[in-house]
Amino acid sequence: MLSFEAKYRREALEVPPIPWLGMGIFRFWIGRFYVGFWGLVALFFGLIGSAVWFWQVLFVHPLDPRNPLLNFIRGQIKPPPPEIGLSIPLDGEKGLWWIVVVFCATVTFFAWMMRQAEIARMLKMGYQVPIAYGAVFSSWVTIQILRPVLLGHWSEGFPLGVIAHLDWLSAFGYRYYNFFFNPFHALGITFLFGSAFVLSLHGATILSASGKKAEGVTEENVNQFYWDFLGYSIGEVGIHRLALWTAVLSVLVSNLCFVLSGTVVQDWNAFWDFWNKLPFWSGFGFN
Amino acid sequence: MTTEVYRESFERRTKTVRYLRFLEGLADTQVGPIFLGMWGTVALFSYLLSAFITAIGFGEQVGWNPIRLVRELPVLTLYPPPPSYGLQLAPLQEGGYWQIATFFLTVSLIAWTFRAWTRAVANGLRPTVAIAFTAALFLYAAIYIIHPISMNSWNEAPGHGLAAILLWTNHFSVKYGNFYYNPFHMVSIFGLLGSAVILAMHGATILATLAYNAHKEIDEIEKSDEGTHRAQLFWRWVMGFNATAHSIHVWALGFASLTAVAGAIGVIATGWLEPNWYLWGCRAGIAPGIQAACP
Repeated sequence: MLSFEAKYRREALEVPPIPWLGMGIFRFWIGRFYVGFWGLVALFFGLIGSAVWFWQVLFVHPLDPRNPLLNFIRGQIKPPPPEIGLSIPLDGEKGLWWIVVVFCATVTFFAWMMRQAEIARMLKMGYQVPIAYGAVFSSWVTIQILRPVLLGHWSEGFPLGVIAHLDWLSAFGYRYYNFFFNPFHALGITFLFGSAFVLSLHGATILSASGKKAEGVTEENVNQFYWDFLGYSIGEVGIHRLALWTAVLSVLVSNLCFVLSGTVVQDWNAFWDFWNKLPFWSGFGFN
Repeated sequence: MTTEVYRESFERRTKTVRYLRFLEGLADTQVGPIFLGMWGTVALFSYLLSAFITAIGFGEQVGWNPIRLVRELPVLTLYPPPPSYGLQLAPLQEGGYWQIATFFLTVSLIAWTFRAWTRAVANGLRPTVAIAFTAALFLYAAIYIIHPISMNSWNEAPGHGLAAILLWTNHFSVKYGNFYYNPFHMVSIFGLLGSAVILAMHGATILATLAYNAHKEIDEIEKSDEGTHRAQLFWRWVMGFNATAHSIHVWALGFASLTAVAGAIGVIATGWLEPNWYLWGCRAGIAPGIQAACP
């Protein structure tokens, strides 16, 4: 326990549980972890999903029975074949275990989000963390559930494996001609690099203004530096708003780039044909 | 004496301060005063020169027709010289423009780093922002300078233009046997996605504890208070681990720098050291399913 922790644990337990969400009897800690109803749900489904994955990859379909590390890196559970559509196969060879692991993972992620909300409530904090986690959870749901459902078969989901999902991503890009031409992909990448950029600036700024060598340095020094350097200082609260939005938008925009591929747009190169066909070019003598 | 007068003429701040009213309640509104200074002047001048040369190149390509410029802007490209010129200077229309534009772009970025350094020190901060910026500069140098020199041809560098950067990235990956198999690319992507995660976690945590003043980070590092305590306990209870007001910013800088540095190493190692990352993947035994197709 941290030196100040006991007081906060007492206060957290005084927050009344939401009848069907809080489940009072699970409100205890094991070591440093809070347990709670949603913690148990996440643990239960997380363990089942992981166990199924490791069992399949290490014991049922090992690429090399003597080398568990290689199986971990190269192994995969493939999604069901296209011909079964959206039905649930009861045959492990036809993708039952993919469905099971995806289901377990989805429940685990949802429970984890609810766990964050529950703990935020007990600590009398805002709900920004579960909301941000919800953004990345929406990405999983979009790619593994929403898009396969829209297209009518589970085979559109990605295979569960370390290198296998890289191959899937690479092939996915070229399957729709070239993902570099997907404007939402471009925007998503922009927000991703923007995230690294904002993170770097913020981390470096705070580190530059703290520590033994920065005695007496305050917020004003940072403001003056940014006015000098960029002409604008976003401020202590503003930088965290910018941070949350940059990171969350990177996944939300990426969701669009996935869900539009194959459903609305088949060829991201041909997508840009509209540009040269805009009606006003002809007014300038172009056809 | 004359040198001092010359220097002082650059060391000035704008006098006017403006306020962006639409940002009220979201972020600080004050804009300016911005500082010019020696390094700012060099950075601005070289950047404008680089943009000007690019504009000339684009203008020539569209026959100085402004409508064509707008219509073709997404695909207009200032190409580096063809491989036959190697590392030599090329005629203007055959990559000379690209060489001059890239030179001034590089000067501009280096001057910008010095500007970040000198301004931080002048305002009582340590030059951490400038050091962090060198990570991005390293990635830029790897792509535009180090890799072309290692392959003995400026043609290896990306052209200047919107589509050009995307096409270069695509071709670079395919040409060297699929970058998804480049382990440094894997680490860089790990850093990139990790950066988004840490940024979301940190931003959300601080916004969730605004009521307890957790955003006063410089003071919180000195002596942590209720806001930081609640934020720390939140993550400790959720995932069994928590950073401190100081260490989260070390994580931040570390992950963001990892993205650029690992990416730069991956680019530098490409070509002369590893001409085909897919074959590297085969040798390392990480190509699943298609391993049988490996030579």
